[in-house]
Parts: sequence; C-alpha cells; structure tokens
Amino acid sequence: MNFDADLLARLQFAFTIAFHIIFPSFTIGLASFLAVLEGLWLTTRRPVFRNLYLFWVKVFALSFGMGVVSGVVMSYEIGTNWAEFAKASAPVIGPLLAFEVLTAFFLEASFLGVMLFGWRRVGPGLHFLATLLVAVGTLVSAFWIISANSWMQHPTGFVELADGSLRATDWMAVIFSPTFASRFVHMSLAAYLTTALAVGAASAWALLKDDDQPESRMALRMAIGMFAIVAPLQLLAGHESGKMVLEHQPLKTAAIEAYWRTGPDQPQSLVGLPDRDAGKTHLEVAVPGVGNLIQGVPKDRVLQGLDAFPRADWPVVGLVYWSFRLMVGLGLAMIALGGWGAWLMARKRLDQSVWFLRAAVAMGPAGFVAVIAGWIVAEVGRQPWTIYGVLRTADSASPVGAGQVSASLLAFMVIYAIVFSAGAVYILRLIDKGPEPGPEPLPSGDGRAPGTALAAVPPEPEA
Amino acid sequence: MPVIIEPPPEEDAPRPSLRRRIGWFIGLAVASMAATVLVAYTLKALLV
Repeated sequence: MNFDADLLARLQFAFTIAFHIIFPSFTIGLASFLAVLEGLWLTTRRPVFRNLYLFWVKVFALSFGMGVVSGVVMSYEIGTNWAEFAKASAPVIGPLLAFEVLTAFFLEASFLGVMLFGWRRVGPGLHFLATLLVAVGTLVSAFWIISANSWMQHPTGFVELADGSLRATDWMAVIFSPTFASRFVHMSLAAYLTTALAVGAASAWALLKDDDQPESRMALRMAIGMFAIVAPLQLLAGHESGKMVLEHQPLKTAAIEAYWRTGPDQPQSLVGLPDRDAGKTHLEVAVPGVGNLIQGVPKDRVLQGLDAFPRADWPVVGLVYWSFRLMVGLGLAMIALGGWGAWLMARKRLDQSVWFLRAAVAMGPAGFVAVIAGWIVAEVGRQPWTIYGVLRTADSASPVGAGQVSASLLAFMVIYAIVFSAGAVYILRLIDKGPEPGPEPLPSGDGRAPGTALAAVPPEPEA
Repeated sequence: MPVIIEPPPEEDAPRPSLRRRIGWFIGLAVASMAATVLVAYTLKALLV
C-alpha cells in the first residue's frame, strides 16, 4: 500500500470522524432520555427520576463537550486536506453545514447552560423547556448532517459549472435527496439504540455491584424497554436503507454482498474472505438463491455484480463486506438482548438474572461499534468518490505533501489519545460511581413522603 | 466538592417571579451562546 497524501488525508479524516461520531450518537439519545426523565419527574415527582437526571446530565455535558471539540477539528480538516472538495462543493454543502450550526448547534449550546446551571433560577417548567430544546437540537443537528452526507451519496438538485464548481438549482432536492429519509431514520434509531445500550450497561454494572439501587433498576428497565422496541425497528429501517443503496449505488451493494458477477438469483454470502484481486470470496459460506429475496427484489431480476464496474472504481470490498456483517451481527445481538430482557421483565426475574446483567454490560459498547461499522459501510462503500458520480476522492484533496499530512495525522493521534482518553476515563469513573440517591423528600407530618402515591390519599379525620 | 450542576428547587422553596425566571432563562441561554462563540472564534484565530 502506497501511503501518499490522498490516502493519509483519508486516514486522518476516518480517524477523526470515527472518534467524533461516538459522541453525537450518544448525546442524541441521551438528550431525549433526559427529557423523558425530567418529564417523568415533573409528572410523578418520584425522586428516582430526578436522581437519574442529575447523574446522566453530567455524562451528557461531558460527551457534548467532547463531541463539539472533535467536530470542530473536522470542519478545519476539510479546509486543510480537502480544499478541492471544499472549492467545488461549498456552494451546496456549505449552507447545509451553516444551517446545522445556526439552527441546531446554537440551540443545543445555548440551552445546555440553562439545563446545567438554571434549574432553581428558572424553575421546573422553563428548565424542562430547555431540556426539550436541547433534545430537539440534537435531532435537528443530525438532520442537517445526514442531509449533507446523503447528498454526497446521491447528489440531486444541482448543476456543475464550467470551472468544476457546483451550484444548487433546487434546495429541496438538495436537502431531501432520495436516500435522506431512510438514512436519517436509520441514524436516529442507531443513536437511540447506542444510548439505551450504554445506559443499560451502566445500570447493569451498578446492579451487579449492589442490587439495592432503585435508580439503576429503573434505568435498566427503561433501557430494556427502549432497545426491545427500537432494535427490531432498526432492522426494518436498515433494510429500507439497503434498498435505497441497491437502487442508487449498486456498486456499494455489490461490495457489501460480495456479488462478483452480474446476474439474477444471487446467493446470500454469510461469511467469507473477499479477495479483490482474485475477484472471489475464499472460504465462503453462502445460501444460494436467497440474495434477491433479502434485497427485496424478484428472483429473476438481474443484480449488478462488481464485474459490471471498472475495477479501478471498486471500493475496498473486504472492509465494506466485514463492516456490514459486524453491524448486522451486533444488531441481531441487540434484538436478542432486548427480547431476553423483556421476557425476564415480564416474568419479574430481571434482578435475579446475573447472566443477563453481565450480557447487558458486555453489550454496552455494541452501539458505538455498530455505528462506526455502519459509517465505514457508507463511506468506504462510496469510494472512489467523495460526491458519488460527480467528484472523485483523488480530485478532492488539497495540494499538500504526504509529509505535512502525516505530521498532522500523528499530532491528531497523540492529542486525541490524551484528550479523549482522559474524557472517556472520567466518564467511565462517573458511571462506575453510579447515580447518587440524593436527598429524599422530607416526610410530611403524618410520615408520608410528598410526591408518593400515599401522600395523595387524604388524611383520615381525627376523631 | 461544590455542586456545579444545579439541582431542582425544593418543594417548599419560595418561587421567584415569572419575570425573574424568564430573565434567568434568557440570560443563561445568551451567556452559553456567547461562551460558545468565544471558543469558536478563539479556535479560528489560532488556526487561521
């Protein structure tokens, strides 16, 4: 492999974006989780929801901060390493990213201050409004970023000028490109799943140490409820997204499934070792005759294989193939975990099942891994294009030398290792400590704590 | 260790007036946004 400036710039972006995506995929779900917790606290006044809120808001603030820092790096990286891409696509991509900053990032950044420092000052109602605005902000942020990326996957609503730069002719077509809706749903559900698995793992960890923790018991049940419902939905959303890929990027589908030859009635490859040079999959385990069925097309429909495209345009087939299987495998494991947890909850045996708690802890990082694997499928599968069919990756890079890019890559690796390791260790320590029970409300004169069901019962008249 | 993240008010705590609460709501939001803008422009100044 020749480590030229282009490849090093790609590795640098892959490294920084893989770090970055960990944080938004966590904070999108966590912001909604906090809104649900606060809403439940406001309606029930049960201290367990307040204590969970006060615990998870710390994790949210740290993750949000690290997400911002790692995200800022990428926007500068586009300028330093991908100047030709920026020059060509800025009139289209630039406004989408600007909208993200103006409508989403500032919404999150502004009201995070109220969330953290203003509960007593603004009162419960306005504080809940701030939490809701931050939760909406995280989703609006995902909307614009997925919109920009979906346009790069399948560009529509633009013209290419004589100087090679792109201009939008139809903003609605740019924002809502054909693959956008399915990808936005897929990514949002992935974020919710990631958060549910992380919250579930943290709660299971706490319960393994001490099972008398009402906060962790409640959070575990909420997490199981979330991933038991969302994981199967994600399978359907992923399938819809896959159908869009087949329609608009058949080369990516061919790489995902290792379809080497064009033809009808494709096999479904389960595992194997794709060999790009030999044009075959070694040690393959495949189910013949079900590939078309899984793609949701008739058996006799001809599906393009890699042989339908110039070999120079093939992505790294093995990486795309295995990243996809890793993502799907983890998704199936999430469905199994959700089903198991729901079954235990229904039988009221959740707290006694040490094996389930251990499995929940082990699955804690699964959401993050699946999200990164999914993005590898999307981004490596789009190669050799940055804007599919319009601008090649080789024509997108800045005219900088390999030495400059490798120096900045090395610097990023060192700085990220220090900064984000410290952040991750701090978050893990916080999680290890678990939610604090907090001050229980003082019982009223008759010994009934306010906010409880008993407190709602009118006192008996004295004789 | 000081409590950085503000907990909710006590049930029986006196409630500030609506004007005061809205004032804090807007003030904190503007201060947070200003802090974000300051960090962003500082980074830009360092890099450009």
